[in-house]
Amino acid sequence: MTTPLVIDGTSLCIADVVDVARSGRAVVLSESARAKMADSYAWVQYATTQDQPVYGVNTGFGSLARVKIDTAHSSQLSLNLLRSHAAGVGPILPVAETRAMMLLRANALAKGASGCRPLLVDTIIQMLEANVTPVVPSQGSCGSSGDLAPLAHLGLVLADGDHGRVRYQNREMTAAEGMAAAGIPRLIMEAKDGLAITNGAQLTTAIGALALHDAISLVEAAELAAAMSIEALRGTSRAFAKSVHALRPYAGAVATAGNLRKLLNGSDLVDSMPEKLQDAYSLRCTPQVLGACRDAIRYAVDQISIELNAATDNPLIILDEEGDNKAFSAGMFHGEPVGIPLDVLKIAISEVANLSERRLYRLTTGSLSQRLPPALASKDRPELGMMVPQTTAAALVSENKALGWPASMDSIPTCEDQEDHVAMSTTAARRAARVVKNARLVIAIETLGAVRALQFRREEDSELGLGAGTAVGLELASAVLDSLPDDSTPGQQIEALSAWIASGAHAGTVAGLERIA
Amino acid sequence: MSVVIDGQHLKCSDIHEIAHGSSASLGDHTHEQMSANAASMPPGPSILEEKRHWLVGGFASDLTPDELCKTFIIGHCAGVGEPLPKSLVRATMAARANVLATATTGCRPIAAEVLVDMLNQDVVPTVPSQGSVGAAGDLAPLAHIARVACGYADRPDSIVDYRPNPKEALALINGVSMTAALGAVAVVRLRRVLDSAIAATAMTMEAVAAGAGCIDDRVLTARNHPGGIEVGRRIRDWLEGSSQVLYENGADAFSIRSAPAVMGTLVEELSCTETILEREINGSGDNPLLIDGVWLEGGNFHGAPIAQALDSVKIALTQLATVSERRTFRLTYGQLSRGLPSFLVRGTGLNSGFMLTQYTAASLASECKGLAHPASVDTIPTVQHHEDHVSMGPIAARTLLEMVECVADIVGIEVLLAAQALDLRVRGIAFDGEGEALDASPITLAPKIETLHRRVRKRIPYWSDDDVLHPCLKAAGTLVRSGEFIGDPQPW
Repeated sequence: MTTPLVIDGTSLCIADVVDVARSGRAVVLSESARAKMADSYAWVQYATTQDQPVYGVNTGFGSLARVKIDTAHSSQLSLNLLRSHAAGVGPILPVAETRAMMLLRANALAKGASGCRPLLVDTIIQMLEANVTPVVPSQGSCGSSGDLAPLAHLGLVLADGDHGRVRYQNREMTAAEGMAAAGIPRLIMEAKDGLAITNGAQLTTAIGALALHDAISLVEAAELAAAMSIEALRGTSRAFAKSVHALRPYAGAVATAGNLRKLLNGSDLVDSMPEKLQDAYSLRCTPQVLGACRDAIRYAVDQISIELNAATDNPLIILDEEGDNKAFSAGMFHGEPVGIPLDVLKIAISEVANLSERRLYRLTTGSLSQRLPPALASKDRPELGMMVPQTTAAALVSENKALGWPASMDSIPTCEDQEDHVAMSTTAARRAARVVKNARLVIAIETLGAVRALQFRREEDSELGLGAGTAVGLELASAVLDSLPDDSTPGQQIEALSAWIASGAHAGTVAGLERIA
Repeated sequence: MSVVIDGQHLKCSDIHEIAHGSSASLGDHTHEQMSANAASMPPGPSILEEKRHWLVGGFASDLTPDELCKTFIIGHCAGVGEPLPKSLVRATMAARANVLATATTGCRPIAAEVLVDMLNQDVVPTVPSQGSVGAAGDLAPLAHIARVACGYADRPDSIVDYRPNPKEALALINGVSMTAALGAVAVVRLRRVLDSAIAATAMTMEAVAAGAGCIDDRVLTARNHPGGIEVGRRIRDWLEGSSQVLYENGADAFSIRSAPAVMGTLVEELSCTETILEREINGSGDNPLLIDGVWLEGGNFHGAPIAQALDSVKIALTQLATVSERRTFRLTYGQLSRGLPSFLVRGTGLNSGFMLTQYTAASLASECKGLAHPASVDTIPTVQHHEDHVSMGPIAARTLLEMVECVADIVGIEVLLAAQALDLRVRGIAFDGEGEALDASPITLAPKIETLHRRVRKRIPYWSDDDVLHPCLKAAGTLVRSGEFIGDPQPW
């Protein structure tokens, strides 16, 4: 049993998000965060007794900040915010993404800068524990001022009343029903609660964090597949030499070159054609291309990791500041800092797949494959081999090109021109998840091709020594394929290998591989 | 009513009907024509048999024709990803059956009959949606259908027993019938979205007391774009008898004043694309063709003609998305809506009204900009230098369908807001740009606008104080998709 994750607004990492969102790891609020939250909550309560305008506490929202609201209506104001902001359309967000968004919002509140009660976070944690998840439409957020609509659907479940819907025990029901069945009391909204729940790009970041986790794992699978293909195509290792990459020392390229050397170490096939001085780019430039992708992903990881532990609310309550007014209206909810990196992630992952598709083309093209059978078709039984799966890979990488269009490059003015520049980061995140999924299928197809190709090489020479990592990769991937029924279609084989990559079981074929941390 | 599959007269609307459960039957002469075509097959091996060495290597000569067909079809079952919705698989089956019914592919009638039989018994294979490049046809998706049709996968015994010959195995998959079928369904859905958008524009114009000049036939005819002329005519029709939309109201912002020009592009694109799709659906999208007793090798499986048409529709559709969103923006903007309150509610401040409604439309419009990226500008060499230019048409079709969903919701949002705005006008609720209440006389709606308004109110109540927004958005999108808003209920 893993220990519960302690959230305090400062130490959440991508792996934690995955544990909670996908594996149901328990969560607790740290005592120090609880104390900090209580202090900022006390200040908001004090502010409601004063005349001073505080955005969203005694004013309307967005362009309606110009309208003063009697603090007697603070609770109604919060509730109305949640109700009127619970917009959005389209398919329902999957459970894992929804859980990640809940965790992220709880962690942002745990920062103690939002002026809300610890009970709010405790309630979200109870929902995570019981796996009661709000029903959240996946489309319609502009990512500024945060993922308002998706988070408002969470708020509708937290707030007592006959609104909101949840999924609980694989059924959809009203929030009242679900929370009662799970034994979780709902809350009467107080001043600023509505803003504290909704103001931030947590859906963007939630989807982004899960996609990044998958992307990191995918790069590892892409390096293994590349090594297997390079080996099967009797590639040349000089292009991966340490001294070569020291002369153009991009961290990502150095890492990929090092990993290829480890994976291919001891291979009889690599460098077995001394007359061949250099390989095609899809082999030779693997460190340059995958390395650049690694560096781009690294940037996205850094940005998302900051956002995971950020206060994204507006206004923020900063008690350390001098002066009576501790409320700071700012723009911390804006999704741009996560939107751009997730658009960059799409480019990087599209390139991981593009390179893979070209290696696959070489593997399946008789004149390019150093005498592998055309389309890698079996010599034991009639079949088309990898002819059509290569086409499938081409379709998938092409599809990524449209998904790669940078969402964060767009902006449409909203809210009577008060919110006149928005991030569109949520679209970037949703598209990034799709790109990763498509790319995983492409790497699965290359892996399928590389397995066949290496098996042919083994048939030609049973004594053949494979690389330290590629030998393990071949064994693992072959086991996945062997577990399928004899009459499985190419599509089923691809899906099985894609699931294998998604599970992370391809990782660590040889010791010391460098991973994007 | 059964839809007739005769290789000549199948329309996009027919494909849509079959998608939603209509039965199908071969044309009166189709059986005879296909039989005659198949009988004209010259002696000697068919193309699949000729290419068998290339396809299946050294085993070719040992394979019976049956084994060859099975190997060929199963080997093409390489689709991945989410399964296509059942309705779209049905549409694809109908489109492919109609290509076979052209009686130019050398297939026996049974090849088409088995597909029709499956449609009529609602035996619908699972078809993964991803993995076709749309040349040489939608090979993988069609192979997943053929696998069931040919009995290589489980299927009910009630389906006619069928073993393809090698040419039929090829003909079942060698064309862009999935792309065409998805395009056909998209066109039908799009017409409804466009009709709804035109009606919504009329409601918005009534609500903001727009100037009448922009829809004057003389103005539009003077420029002479048929799409713009038609949009103008239809807006005028909805506004007949309006006491609000008057010449003296002057010039509105572009999202209103130029609505005929902007939305007219979609009218023209749709009509052009529908023609192209119907040619494809009734064309010989196969290779080789058997004409006058001779095998002719061509490239009729390439999806380029429909891929580019579908991509063009995506651009025009994005224009509709963005122009409707801008009208939504104006409707929620106190200073731009000729006296309507900010976010279309009274008591703003405590109420945020329809603030987030416009955000939703903005987000969806932005999604469309990305999805509009033309799939057909890409090509990737496939199959050992042989299929070195491909169409990516199926990606165009799938993204178009995804965009249609976005735009149905965007138009639903305009409908929702325009209805609310009309309610405020009818109640005589008006404000100046600073939010101060004004004296305003209640208006009487133009008769057809009132009809539209009533259809909305049948499903969505007037918004007085803040309530949960999502159910309203969902209901508004449903009004558009169901055709209820335009008074023509149909399955989506």
